[in-house]
Amino acid sequence: MADQLTAPPVRPDASIIVKAEKVNKNFGALHVLKDIDLEVRKNEVVIIIGPSGSGKSTFLRCINHLEKINSGHISVNGHLIGYLERNGRLVEDSEKNIARQRAEIGMVFQRFNLFPHLTALENIMEAPLRVRKLPVEQVHAEAEQLLTRVGLADKRNQYPNQLSGGQQQRVAIARALAMKPSLMLFDEPTSALDPEMIGEVLEVMKELAHEMTMIVVSHEMGFARAAANRVVFIDGGRIVEEGTPDSFFENPREERTRLFLSQILH
Amino acid sequence: MYNFDWAIFWKYIWPPTALQDPLIRTGLIVTIVVSVIAQVLGVVLGLFVALGKMSKFAPFRWVANAYIWYFRGTPLLVQMSLLFFGLGVTHIYDFPDIVLGTLTIKGAIQAGALALAINEAAYMAEIIRAGIEAIDPGQMEAAKSLGMTYGLAMRRIVLPQAAKVIIPPLGNEFNSMMKTTSLMEVISATELFYGFNQVNARLFKPFELFIAASFYYLAMTTVWSFIQVRIEARLGERKGVERGPSTLQRLFTGASGKGVR
Repeated sequence: MADQLTAPPVRPDASIIVKAEKVNKNFGALHVLKDIDLEVRKNEVVIIIGPSGSGKSTFLRCINHLEKINSGHISVNGHLIGYLERNGRLVEDSEKNIARQRAEIGMVFQRFNLFPHLTALENIMEAPLRVRKLPVEQVHAEAEQLLTRVGLADKRNQYPNQLSGGQQQRVAIARALAMKPSLMLFDEPTSALDPEMIGEVLEVMKELAHEMTMIVVSHEMGFARAAANRVVFIDGGRIVEEGTPDSFFENPREERTRLFLSQILH
Repeated sequence: MYNFDWAIFWKYIWPPTALQDPLIRTGLIVTIVVSVIAQVLGVVLGLFVALGKMSKFAPFRWVANAYIWYFRGTPLLVQMSLLFFGLGVTHIYDFPDIVLGTLTIKGAIQAGALALAINEAAYMAEIIRAGIEAIDPGQMEAAKSLGMTYGLAMRRIVLPQAAKVIIPPLGNEFNSMMKTTSLMEVISATELFYGFNQVNARLFKPFELFIAASFYYLAMTTVWSFIQVRIEARLGERKGVERGPSTLQRLFTGASGKGVR
């Protein structure tokens, strides 16, 4: 069992999937991200933790350009996200190109954001059909497989409001996976769930962690220890400390990290 | 004492005899057809005005705001007269009759339908915008995160959900539209009220004839309110929305109580 409790090591020569350099972001006068640098390699699972308002979700949303950045660079698979570089200046990319880039990046939201007018199966099929324009038979078969994989094959024809929170989030994960993304972003995927439903979602995420590059904003320490290669602590818009789950939780170097950990671990 | 002319009254209130008069027959057809066309055009145009109003691009917002400001801030009667008489006298556009085989669509009817549609779009724009804004912004974000463009996300994700919010007031707009077509009388479009007016010019029985005219408008709006309840009930069934007021409640409490604009 011990080998299942820690994530497989990431090969140091694995290709870089996400590269963020000196990322700054302002909301008006509020400086929410300050010179964020982060590299994520293929199949690496990175957990971002931090107090509320620290900028961790904002950073995650910058990675698929749901938020604009004010300076710096973010690239995924070697391509600048959301911007084009012209004469050393960043210009926002066309809507079409941004959409194309987002199609390669899956995102799971705190409040699921399933499409309420579509069934579980239709939620999963929508983007492969309309964005990738794949044949319906193939999309249907893959959607069925994904539903089975998240343990919800019997719920294929249910609408989101007929599903529990945990079931909705599992459908949302399947929906993101249907696009076969090279990177998955999870924005506090369990914090809107009742406690008894957190486990089922984390199980699916742990399974996924073996084969997917993931960045997860979450306070689930159990998940971090079991599935993460690295924990990144953000506070006040800066990366304060990062390390492997063991070193991070057992021997935090920074005083602020220790204080934060003492607050969330009670 | 006024001598009520029962013969004329029955002739014009009883559809089989009333519709023998070409003025009434044509009038009824024109009123229904123009109502439908103007409402459909109003919804389509209103959608664009709504999207313009919500645009990130400031000039689109200015145009949409100016549009809504003008068409909601001036009487439809004035707008219609300006469109038909104003454009006609300047020869910017004369509204020539359109001949489709055996069917001739008079310029006044085209102008009337167009004025109704343009005016309706200003009202529909606000209804559609409210409908879109009622949808959780997380829906658009989720759609975008899956690689959808704004247009695709609107069409496939946001608008189908917004429709639930938009359709009840849209039904009320159509109820209003059927009555408002009577304004086309001033540009001599041969709709229902124009028809009764012409008959009255011949017979001079305004009391009898305008009661009969009321009956036809009431019949149209009542039939529509039953259809509306059916549509809304079907809309509510699948998605677990609460039921709206009953048809009778709707008829008597004036859920749509809006006068001539």
